[in-house]
Order: sequence, then C-alpha cells, then structure tokens
Amino acid sequence: MIEFNSHTLSNGLRVIAHHDASTPMVTTDLLYDVGSRDEDPEATGFAHLFEHLMFGGTDDVPAFDTPVMIAGGENNAFTNNDITNYFITLPANNLETALWLEADRMEGLDLSESRLRIQKSVVTEEYRQRYLNQPYGDLMLLLRPLAFRRHPYMWPAIGKDISHIEKADSRRVKEFYHRHYNPSNAILCVAGNVHPDQVFSMAEKWFGDIAPGRRIIRNLPQEPPQTERREVTARRKVPAAHLIMAFHTEKRESRAFYVLDLLTDILSGCDSGRFPEILIRKKELFSEADIYLSGEIDPGLVIFSGRLRNGADISKAEEAVRDELDKISTRQVTVAELDKARNRYEASRLMSYVSAGNKAFNLAFQELLGDANGINTEIERYMSVTAAEITECSAATFRPGNCSVIHYLPESHEE
Amino acid sequence: MKSRRIMAPPRIITPSAGKISFPAVMRLGNGLPVYLLGGGTVDLIRIEFVLNAGQIMEETHMAASVANAMLTEGTVSHDAITLNDLIDSTGAVFNHTAEKDTASLVVITLSRKLEEVMELAGEVLLHPSFPENELRMLKEKKIQAFLTGRQKTSVIGREQFYMALCGKDNPYGRITRLEDFDALTAAVTRDFHSRFYRPENMYITVSGREPESALPVLSKFFSGSSQWHKAEIPQLAFETSPPGRIFAEVKGSVQSAVRMGWKGITRDHNDYHGLQVANMILGGYFGSRLMRNIREEKGYTYGIHSVTGAFHGIGFIVIMTEVANEYREETLKEIRKEIAELRRNPVSTDELQTVRNHFMGEIARMFDGPFSSAEAVRGLIDYDTDHDYYSRLISTIETITPDRIMELFNTYFNPDEAVEVIAGTK
Repeated sequence: MIEFNSHTLSNGLRVIAHHDASTPMVTTDLLYDVGSRDEDPEATGFAHLFEHLMFGGTDDVPAFDTPVMIAGGENNAFTNNDITNYFITLPANNLETALWLEADRMEGLDLSESRLRIQKSVVTEEYRQRYLNQPYGDLMLLLRPLAFRRHPYMWPAIGKDISHIEKADSRRVKEFYHRHYNPSNAILCVAGNVHPDQVFSMAEKWFGDIAPGRRIIRNLPQEPPQTERREVTARRKVPAAHLIMAFHTEKRESRAFYVLDLLTDILSGCDSGRFPEILIRKKELFSEADIYLSGEIDPGLVIFSGRLRNGADISKAEEAVRDELDKISTRQVTVAELDKARNRYEASRLMSYVSAGNKAFNLAFQELLGDANGINTEIERYMSVTAAEITECSAATFRPGNCSVIHYLPESHEE
Repeated sequence: MKSRRIMAPPRIITPSAGKISFPAVMRLGNGLPVYLLGGGTVDLIRIEFVLNAGQIMEETHMAASVANAMLTEGTVSHDAITLNDLIDSTGAVFNHTAEKDTASLVVITLSRKLEEVMELAGEVLLHPSFPENELRMLKEKKIQAFLTGRQKTSVIGREQFYMALCGKDNPYGRITRLEDFDALTAAVTRDFHSRFYRPENMYITVSGREPESALPVLSKFFSGSSQWHKAEIPQLAFETSPPGRIFAEVKGSVQSAVRMGWKGITRDHNDYHGLQVANMILGGYFGSRLMRNIREEKGYTYGIHSVTGAFHGIGFIVIMTEVANEYREETLKEIRKEIAELRRNPVSTDELQTVRNHFMGEIARMFDGPFSSAEAVRGLIDYDTDHDYYSRLISTIETITPDRIMELFNTYFNPDEAVEVIAGTK
C-alpha cells in the first residue's frame, strides 16, 4: 500500500505527496498533460522539441541545470504520445530548490530564437542517432502511420519527419507554451523523505500565484475500427528480417488493458513464455519474439515484434505467430500460466516501488488517468483477470482484419 | 503576473554524501564471502553472485559470455524449458551477464520464495548441462547480433578504441570476427565453466530487508567442498597504438561515432580520485564543458561524454559522441580546444563548487537504498579497492583546488597522445 496525500491549489495545480523515510532523497515529478497527440499534423515532434526548450532557462535562472547540480540533484524529462514528464531527484533538504525551478519555468521560460535554433539542431541529431542511425531504428516510424489513419497516434513523439522540426518557428513555440504549460494542465507529485504538509505549503508558496490557464478538453479524431489487414514491406541494410504485427486495442482505462497486459506476459514476458518456447525453441523461426502493449491513454496497439532466424521464411513465421494467436483466442490459458503471470506481476510491482522516483511518476500518472489511488487498486484489476476473459479479449483483439503487418527485410532478400 | 523574482530563491544546502561504510561481510563454511546490505521498504530480496569468470579469464574468445549465457539453457536435472518454467513460476528475475573482468548472476525474488529460488540459482550456477542444440541456437543468435553490430557506428567506434588502447591480442582489445564463433564448442564452454563457476571462485551480495536471514539458505546451496580461493587474474600484455587517426568505414550511416582517448591510470593510483573530478568538469555531467559547448551552444550532437575508467592493469580516458558526418572534424577541434583551455586556466570556484555538489549528490544517489548500494560496492570488491575508497573520494571532492585540477589536466589530458577513432561514412 502506497500512502499519499493530495491537494489541489486554487489555480488548479494538483499536488500529491508520498512520504518515504527510507531514503535521504526526494523526487519531484511534474507531469504536463500534453503529448504528441496534441500536435498539428503539419507540425509534429513539437511537444518533444518543447521539452528540450524547457531546459533553456528564464530571466531569473539563466541555466536550468546549474541550480539542480549545486543542490546535488539530477534531472531529466521525457515526452511520449500522451504526456510530457519532468523529474528532479535531489537531497530532501533541497526540495524547495526543485519546486522553485519548476515553478519558475512553468511561468517565465526564455523562448529566444537562438535557443530554438540550437535545440532544433540537437533534436535533429537525436532523431538521427536513435531512429535513423540504428539498424531496425525506423520500425516504429513505419508502424504508426500504417496502423493509425485518423488518430494523431499516427506519428511518433519524435515527429513524422525531420523537416517538421526544422520548420518550427517561435510564434508557434510561444502559443504552445501558453496553451499547455500552466497549473490547470499539470500534476505535481513529490515522493521521498519529506512530510506532506511541507510539500503542500512549499507548493503553495512557489506555484500558488501562477495564473491557472485553461484546462485543455481534447476532441481528437477517433480511429475508426480496422476491418482489413494492412501490410508494408521495407528493405533495409540489416542482417536479418524482422516481423511486426500490430492490433488495435482499447483505451488505457479499460478492462482489456489489464487482461492483455497479463496475456502478453504469458506469451512473451519471460523465457518460459509461449513465444520463446514455441516460436524460438521448438519451431526455430525467430531469434527474438516479443508481444507488448503500446500503453497509450487513448486506444492503442498490442504489438508483436520478432527478429527472424537466418533462413526463416517470413510468411511461415507470420503463420506461426497467427497460429499462437488463434490458440490463445480459442483455448483457455492454464491455471499454471495464470499463476505464473500473477507471481511475476506481484514481484515487478514491488520492484517498481523500490525507488521513490518511480513512485512519484506512477502516482502522477494514475492521477492523470483519474485517481492517484490507482497505484493501490491496480493490483486488484490484475489479480481478478480470469482465463475466460483472456480468451474472450484475445478473440476480439487478434482478428486478422485488425492487423497491421510490417515485413522488414534485408536489402538482398527476395520475398 | 507576479515575477518569481519577488521571492528570494531558496537557500541551497550543500549536499553531503553522508557516511559511506563498507558493508558487513559474513563467510559461509567454506570461506565464501557474503556482503550484507540491509534496508528498503519492500519484501524483495536481491542476491548477486559475482564470479571471476570474465573475458580476461578466457582462452577461447567469447567462452566467458557463452558459458554465462548457457547457464539457464538446461541443467543436469532440468531441460531448458522446464528450468525456465520453474524459475519464472516463482516470479523471480534471473539476470546473468559476463563482462570484461567478471561474470555475474543477479536474482531478485519475493522474500517468501527465497529458498526455492536459491535452490534454482545453485542449480543454474553450478550444474548447467550445456546441451548441444541450445548452444547451436545461442550461437546463431549471437552471430545475428554480431552482424547487426557491424551496422552500428557506436559499436565499431568502441571496439576500434579498445583495440588501439590494449592491442589486438589483448582480451580487452580483441575484436570479434565471424570465424571466432566456430571455436565455441560445448567442450570449450563446459571447460570454462568447470574452471571458474565454483563456490570457491565467487562472492555474494545480499540486499534488502533482513539480509542476514539469507545466510542459512546460501550455506545450504553454496558451501561447496573446497576452501574459498579466488582464481588468479592473469598478467596481461598491452600493446597501445601510437597516437593518430583511425578511420573505420560504416557504409550508409547518417552519423559518425567519434572517440578520442588515451591511456590513464588504475584505481590504486593516488591521482585516481582527483582525475574523476577533472573528468567530470570536462565531460562527466550535463553541465560539463563539452556538453555546454558541443551540444548546447553548437547543436552538433544529442550527447557528448568523457569517461575515465580502469580495467586490470590499464586505465583510460575517452571522450565519446555521435555527430552528423559533416560536424565530425569541427567536433574534434572543439574537444581539443576545451582540453587546452582546462590545461591553461584554472576553473572558477563557482564551477568547481557546482561540480563538487553534483558529485556528492551522485554518490548519495548511488548509495540510496540497499539495491543501489549493492551495485555500488561491487566495483570496490571486484578491483580489491580500499574499503575507504568512497571516503577518500569524498574528501578529494571537498578539498581539491582549481590549481590542482589544472595540474591534473596537464598531467593526464594530452590530446597529442590521443587516438582518434571515427566510425562512419567516408
């Protein structure tokens, strides 16, 4: 049980505090309810580019990192399709420095042209380093537009294309800042060696007089149900073929999410899962075979991702995956499989409570989903999943018509 | 809107790493050392088995990593599928890796399942069976990963640097070739295992709540029959390349890996601690000279880092980054410029204070909680480093002067001695 207290400031900032006396440190997690799904289709990658700009400094604090370092802390951030999340971990007696810095950049960010120019270049290099200069690095760049035709999940957080980053101008940057970076669209969680009362009074002191801004109510285009299989073939300079099969699923806050999370663990979560046993060891078709939930808040994907063994035929490999998905959709998993998945869930849940930083993010994210106490009630949602539900949910999800397929082949390979 | 400026910024309290003490060590009946790190808030226990069974012990290239990877591919009592099913059913995680100097198995388990999980750990570590079929599949997988690595500039850049530093026949410098996989037979792997995976050649760390409660269980499975006696680390011959440029072509890459480095000092050297501080200023944290110049002012890269490290018998300093092909010469020029600057002018007291505080915070985070602490002490045990390593490091961080740092740059950072590796397109 993770105990916490919560409080909403008059400007709408939601504040959560979790006291963990076992650590000398504290983590502040500031989650902004903005991700790449909120971008203009002609200006993608913007939320992530903006994350870089948040480290640019303000009138009061010319370089964001310096006070964090002086306070003995470390900080970072990430952006995904749904959210942008900033965190600072530092000695608990310097908590106020972290809150001062976060409040300062929520309100007074310096959005100079030169700053923007440099960070556009840094993000371009990030794009190259992570997506273009890695073998198999562009798989997700190919998958999203194939699986999504209307919902903005059709582009990844890094953006559709480098040219969008290059085109970003300061007018749009400022608009974006004022629209999304305000108390109404943020959740602050502080976890570590500090008393909740102190957290609330410091939050009031530093964030209390920031103008609330307007809570963004989304009206995103919804993805229509997929009824026909989609397939693309890509040829790249890689030594082995790779197969992706992606299926649309339901939103994060649905029963299906928990059912499929346990199911994917049964299939490929560990070495004794069905995929490693059948697809890798017995049929010798794959050297890696993984299935996982993409995990977005709006309806997302469940993705099979497998690297083929040398010489294995990609159509045969796909057929073998198909067979396993048909099996799971028609026959119930065994009691032993379900027990194993539950034990593994229990251990991994405890693992995620080892660091206060993890707890801070999880509390903030659960609050965004509707209630921070989800961190405590989620276990029940997992433990109550039945074998019958798994079969039913699999049958609904793994329909051949609901599938987007990528055949990613070595350049010399003839299909 | 009220400016933040109306309120004075909070006063920053100078961070302290606290008192870092070396963990208590207990011994099993055969003398095997078990280090205990208590604390934490969850009912999980982490047990790490560390063996002197790294790359430096091997006669056949990759024997160490294959022997380690085969641990969970079947034992004398269970085939691979049954074994993995037994492990996974407990909910425990088994992570096993072989590195340059050591090999290890980390087990994290629900405390209540400790005994059954340790029985499996004993089976995996001491009685693997090395079945032919699993070995064949593992080798195929490793070949695939090897071929994928041929497309990665970062992999090629790293191996070229270590070869230049240590020599092509040295275990730290050897570059894998496709034909090396042929020699990896079950007999070679079994032989490597039988020599080095023994209770007398390992130590154990236990971290979590009430770690001493694990001792009787560990005694049951790891007391062995022979007295504890670590395998001797072989004397290695080093053949360092002369300074200069090494270019490795990676066709079609959109970025180049750049590595610039030279020989440094080992952990037992008196200047090792001071060197850590100097390195941090140059390229060891986000606010470093290199990061500020090459990422935050020029935008040439997503990241640039400098590292000082040491293996057995050799230390090194290396600066590494991935940059667009068109920026690589400019990047090398800027790295030289930053080093020259630090050799010529002492750092300001403000900059030094920032680095001091940041370093203290980093040490405090390394020892935050029993699991992190267990990882942090491993480095000390593996290299027989003094138990007061961290207290001496802390006192160096607190007392080192700008002049002393400049002296260290003049002694240990000389780009004229550097090997420059570029892996990328022509």
